[in-house]
Amino acid sequence: MAKIEFRNVCKYFGDTKVIENLNLTIEDGKFTVLVGASGCGKTTLLRMIAGIGPATSGQILLDGEDITDVPPGKRGIAMVFQNYALYPTMTVRQNIEFGLKNNGVPKAERERLVAEVSEIVGLANLLDRKPSTLSGGQRQRVALARAMVKKPKVFLMDEPLSNLDAKLRAQMRVELIELHKRLKTTFVYVTHDQVEAMSMADKIVLMDNGVIQQEGTPEEIYNDPNNVFTAQFIGTPPMNMLLVDKSGTLVGFRPEKVSLAYENAEGFLKRKGTISTREMLGSETLYRVDLGDAYVMVKSFNDKFRPDEKVEIAVCEEDLCFFDPDGVRIRDSRIDGLLQRLATAGGDK
Amino acid sequence: MNAPANRRRWRFRKESFLPYLMVAPAMAFLGLFTFYPMANLVYLSFFDYNLVNPVKKYVGLRNYQTMFFIRRDFMIALKNTAVYTLAVVACLITLSLLCALWFQKDTRLNRFAQTAMFTPHLIAMLSCAMIWSWIMDQNSYGLLNAVLELFKIPPLRWLNSSQTAMLSVVIVSVWKSIGYYALVIMSALKSIPVEIYEAAELDNTPKWRVFFRLTLPLLSPQLFFLLIVITINSFKVFDTIRVMTNGGPGSSTDVLAYYIYRYAFQHFKIGYASAAGTVLMVILMILTALYFAVLGRKVHYQ
Repeated sequence: MAKIEFRNVCKYFGDTKVIENLNLTIEDGKFTVLVGASGCGKTTLLRMIAGIGPATSGQILLDGEDITDVPPGKRGIAMVFQNYALYPTMTVRQNIEFGLKNNGVPKAERERLVAEVSEIVGLANLLDRKPSTLSGGQRQRVALARAMVKKPKVFLMDEPLSNLDAKLRAQMRVELIELHKRLKTTFVYVTHDQVEAMSMADKIVLMDNGVIQQEGTPEEIYNDPNNVFTAQFIGTPPMNMLLVDKSGTLVGFRPEKVSLAYENAEGFLKRKGTISTREMLGSETLYRVDLGDAYVMVKSFNDKFRPDEKVEIAVCEEDLCFFDPDGVRIRDSRIDGLLQRLATAGGDK
Repeated sequence: MNAPANRRRWRFRKESFLPYLMVAPAMAFLGLFTFYPMANLVYLSFFDYNLVNPVKKYVGLRNYQTMFFIRRDFMIALKNTAVYTLAVVACLITLSLLCALWFQKDTRLNRFAQTAMFTPHLIAMLSCAMIWSWIMDQNSYGLLNAVLELFKIPPLRWLNSSQTAMLSVVIVSVWKSIGYYALVIMSALKSIPVEIYEAAELDNTPKWRVFFRLTLPLLSPQLFFLLIVITINSFKVFDTIRVMTNGGPGSSTDVLAYYIYRYAFQHFKIGYASAAGTVLMVILMILTALYFAVLGRKVHYQ
C-alpha cells in the first residue's frame, strides 16, 4: 500500500552537499534498511520521507503521489527516533494517544486502540507511568506503540536500537521482524550496524557519501558485492582483498571461504603464510595469516592452528570476486585472464 | 590491642567532625551576614528606637499595633506593593516568554533585537530611572509626550498623575528586566530536544497544542523559578520609586521598601521601620511557601 520513490533528489545543508541526484524506489510492504557509516546521508533520506527535513530539490513520491509539499502530520507516516523523542510531560498512555487525539479520533476508539497496541508491545501495566521512570527498553516500546497506534502506511525508524544493550538489542531485532510480519506495512529502517541490516532487511540499501553503493537482498549484498566499498563494509571481518597485478586490480574473498591447512590446502588460489594472530570466538576461530606481502583474515571451524605456525590457504574459483582499480566489480570476460594470472602466480610461490 | 581501637575511635571522630569543619567558613559568613541581621531586625522591631536617641525602649508589639491599626499608610504601601508585583510578574513572564519564542529563530534581526533587549540589564537601575524620568517628563520635551504629540494625542502626565504613576514605574521595571528573563527562558527552550517537536509534527499536532502541551510544561521549572525571583524582587522594589516618584504623587507609588526607608532614614524611627521590614520578610516567606505548595506539584522536572 505504500511505495516510496525518490526522483533526482538533492540535499544541501548550506553549501555542503549531502545528497546529489539520488534515485531510489522503496518497495511496498518490504523491510528496507538504509545502512552506511555516519554522515552518509541515510538519516537525511529518512527525514525527507517524514517531511521534517525537506529535500533541496527533486521529488518524493508516496504511492505515485508527490508528497513534497504535504506536511509531516498528513503523510500517514510514523517515525521512531533514535532517542525515542517521547513527550516527557505525558504519561505513556498520553504519549501513545496524542496523535490520535490530534486527528480527532473519538475517546472510546482511542482507548480501544491504545489497549490493543500496548498489549502487543507489552506495556499494558505501564500506561500511567511517565517516560522518565521507564527503562531504555520500555521507552523503546512506547516509541513503537506511539508509531503503531496511528496505523501508518510507512514506518520510519532511525537507529531505534542503538541506545539498548547488546542482549536487548538482539531481542528487539526479533520483535521488530515479527512486527513487520504481522503489520505487513512498509518499514524503512536506518542503521550503521551491518548486523542489524543483514538480520532484519528484506532489502538493503548501502550508502556512502550520499551515493547509493548497492541495493539488494542481504544475500546479494553479501555474496555478490558490486564494489570494494560494499565488500568491505558488510561482513565481520570484511572481505579480504589481494592485489592481482601492479595496475591495482583486486581479488576479494570472504574469510570463511578460505580453507586452511598445514599443507596441500584444497582450492584454486593458493598461498603460503604464517599465522600471526588467533581469536577464538566460540564456534569459529579467526586467524590473521601473514602472506609476506599482505594479510588475510581466515574464519575457520578448526581451532587447532596456533600463532607462528606455517600454513597454506586456498580459495575456490567460484568464491573469488575481482575489482578494477576504481573499486568496481569486474563481471565480464576479463575474469578469465585474471584467473589465469592468479593460477600462474600461485604456482610460483 | 587498645591502640587500633583508639585509632578507630579517633578516625571516627575525625570523620564526623571534618565535614562541619569544611562548611564552617561558609556557615560563619551566613550567620554573620544573613542570620544575625535577620534576627536583629526582628529584635529591633520590639523597641522604640531612633538614631537620634541612643536609648532603646522596649515596647513589645506596639510598633506592629501602630502599623496595622493606627497608621493607615502601611496598608496603602502594602496594597501598592501588591499591585506593582502583580503587574510586573504578569507582564514580565508573559512578555519574556513571547520574546524568547520570537528569538528562537536565529536571524540577524533577532540577534540584534536580543542584544538590544538585554542591554538595559547592564545599566544601573538608578541610571535607568533617571533616563526614564526624562522620557516620561510631563512637559513636551519628555520623549514619550513628544512622540504622542506627533500623532496628535494629548500628552499624558505619566509620573505626575496618581493614575499613571504606578503604570509608569511598572513599564520601567519591565523594560529593564525583560531581556534578562527572556534569555533565561531562551536557554531553557534551547535545551528541549528538537526531536520532540518533530515527533509532535508527525503526530499532526496543531501549533497551539504544541505550545500548551509540550513547550509550556517543559519550561515550567524555569517559569516557576522566575515567578519566585520576580515576585521577591518586585516586593522589594526601591530605586525606581526613590528616583522617579518618591512614593508620590500622594502615596500612589508608596511601596514597602520605600516605606521602610522613609521611616528609618527620614523619620529616624528604626524600631518602627524594623517592624515593617519584619512584616515584608514574613510576607515573602509566606508567598514563597504558598507558591511551592500550590504550583510546586505542577512543575515538571526532567
